[in-house]
Amino acid sequence: MVRLITHNLLACHAKNCNTNNFPLQLKDVQVEQREAEFNPDFLRGFMPRIEWKALVEAAKQVGDTSLPLEQPEMLDDEFLKQLHHVLLEIHIDEGALVCPNCGHVYPIMNGIPNMLLAENEIG
Amino acid sequence: MLDQYLFIFAQAHEDFRIPELRSIAELHQFPIKIPEDIDVKRPFAVLGLEKEEHARILARRCILVKHVYEFYASATSYEELHEKNRALHARWDKYAADTSFKFFVAGFNQSIPQRRQKDVVESFSYMDFQGKIDMKNPELIMGCFEEYYDKQGTMRHKHEGDGNFREVFFGRLIEDGSARSLVQKFDVKKRAYYGNTSMEAEISLLMVNQTLASPGKVVYDPFIGTGSMAYTTAHFGAFVFGSDIDGRQMRGKENQPGIMRAAAQYGVAERILDLGTFDVTHHPWRCGGFLDAIITDPPYGVRAGAKRLGRRETPRSLRRPISAPSTPRPDDQPYIPPMKLYELSALATDLVLLARYLLRPGGRLVFFLPTVTDEYQEVDIQTMTCEGMELVANSLQDFGVWGRRLVTIRKTTSQDYPPPAFDTAAAPSDDVDGAHVPAHRHFRQKYFQKFRSPTEGDEEGSQRSLSEAIEQVAEDNNLP
Ligand SMILES: C[S@@+](CC[C@H](N)C(=O)[O-])C[C@H]1O[C@@H](n2cnc3c(N)ncnc32)[C@H](O)[C@@H]1O
Ligand SMILES: [Zn+2]
Repeated sequence: MVRLITHNLLACHAKNCNTNNFPLQLKDVQVEQREAEFNPDFLRGFMPRIEWKALVEAAKQVGDTSLPLEQPEMLDDEFLKQLHHVLLEIHIDEGALVCPNCGHVYPIMNGIPNMLLAENEIG
Repeated sequence: MLDQYLFIFAQAHEDFRIPELRSIAELHQFPIKIPEDIDVKRPFAVLGLEKEEHARILARRCILVKHVYEFYASATSYEELHEKNRALHARWDKYAADTSFKFFVAGFNQSIPQRRQKDVVESFSYMDFQGKIDMKNPELIMGCFEEYYDKQGTMRHKHEGDGNFREVFFGRLIEDGSARSLVQKFDVKKRAYYGNTSMEAEISLLMVNQTLASPGKVVYDPFIGTGSMAYTTAHFGAFVFGSDIDGRQMRGKENQPGIMRAAAQYGVAERILDLGTFDVTHHPWRCGGFLDAIITDPPYGVRAGAKRLGRRETPRSLRRPISAPSTPRPDDQPYIPPMKLYELSALATDLVLLARYLLRPGGRLVFFLPTVTDEYQEVDIQTMTCEGMELVANSLQDFGVWGRRLVTIRKTTSQDYPPPAFDTAAAPSDDVDGAHVPAHRHFRQKYFQKFRSPTEGDEEGSQRSLSEAIEQVAEDNNLP
């Protein structure tokens, strides 16, 4: 778990960390691939919410370069299948997410990221 | 024109029956006509649908539907019933020649003696069905149901008052409800992972139907605990996100998180998109507008206390110095960060605002709200809604002195709203003159003050919660 779809939706939320707090950097990650069912309607519906550059960059970091650098306008099946793989089938099970701005480390253990803040980081 | 169908409900959760039917009809985008004066306490209802196929869809998805019949007639006497049925002969003539059939006669709230069941069947002989009678696999099942008044608690002989029914219904079976078997499938006790906050299977299923879960939708539980609603949601094809302030609730004791073990048991692990440990009042979601539904059983200080990160607001003099951790802690350790209690009405208000931020237009928020039964007023729920969020349903699960309401709210706006500030102080205070104070305000204190000792003949529900309540007191005494 911590699929790239989730990585694309999480930002650092420490107190006063409001700029450059996304995307979180991947650190020492262990990656696994697991098959998921393909649902083109779901993918089409989700496209508008994706930060494309962050997704392409994260995919590259875990060794997948199948996505085009620019978000395509034509959502054909071939593209949707690649998107499906990147968003849903790559799992980060161990490692950490690190804020590029404040350096907060969010550790991932057994697939669950610990997004808790320390007491002095709460607004 | 809509045709009439006779719905026979399971004898449970009366208040949930109609909202469930409406939700599933909405999910499949077909009209359903429910009489305005319907008495939801009765196990029979005659509803309008466009086609048989719609009745079948409802029978396959609604947890509370036991059978659906094509409605022929209802009456307060057999004389009247037969008169109406004779007039309908065009409907059943086509079965007369050679359709195999069986008649099914049953009483509700009272059983009908064998002897009279036979008489009832014979009284329909004018229909002159020539096909063979097949008790096992008939092509046609005709049902005749006598509904009696509930005489629970009164002493009477088993068949006393036989024939003095309130109303009798007659029709042709379309389909038996098949979704009820899911209640067994999701039985908490048979689950690979569960805890003392796990939600019972039947309610988890009813909640999911309120979310309109279906393949490809994204549903989020921000207080996911041991994940009870995640499994039922994923069962209907939706993807699930979950989070909890306490990682141990989601993980359990083994390496592989408990929620993932249970999800694998149900064959839906792949639909659990992700889990995360965080306080929902300090959440890391980058944006809103990406969820189709939020489904949750919020902590309300009885079963699992509502907590949030931050100092308790105790007088300065009472505070003990605690060394503030400056690095985040592992989420599987029994360390409990300093948390303050989260007042229930503030939590409910925040939850609605959070849902308005996170949901897509048309998305739904489905959650439980506990209330003190005799203090509850209709306006209590209204105090929680806000611009762009509209109440869809509100069903009471009654435990006697207290109950909990399953609230369904729809996001009607397509405008973007900012995330809530989770600024508890902004909630209207009790002291404001004339402001309505909902019955769920300070539910926790009321619960402990009023319901401390179990009353005689207490229902299972309130007793169960009472023992949890006592646990909670113990837990609270350990808080920093
Ligand atoms: C009533 S339980 C939910 C139980 C869940 N439906 C299940 O099946 O186990 C409430 C959950 O909320 C969590 N919780 C309490 N305060 C929270 C907060 N501020 N943010 C996130 N989770 C919180 C508790 O740890 C608990 O697991
Ligand atoms: Zn940061």
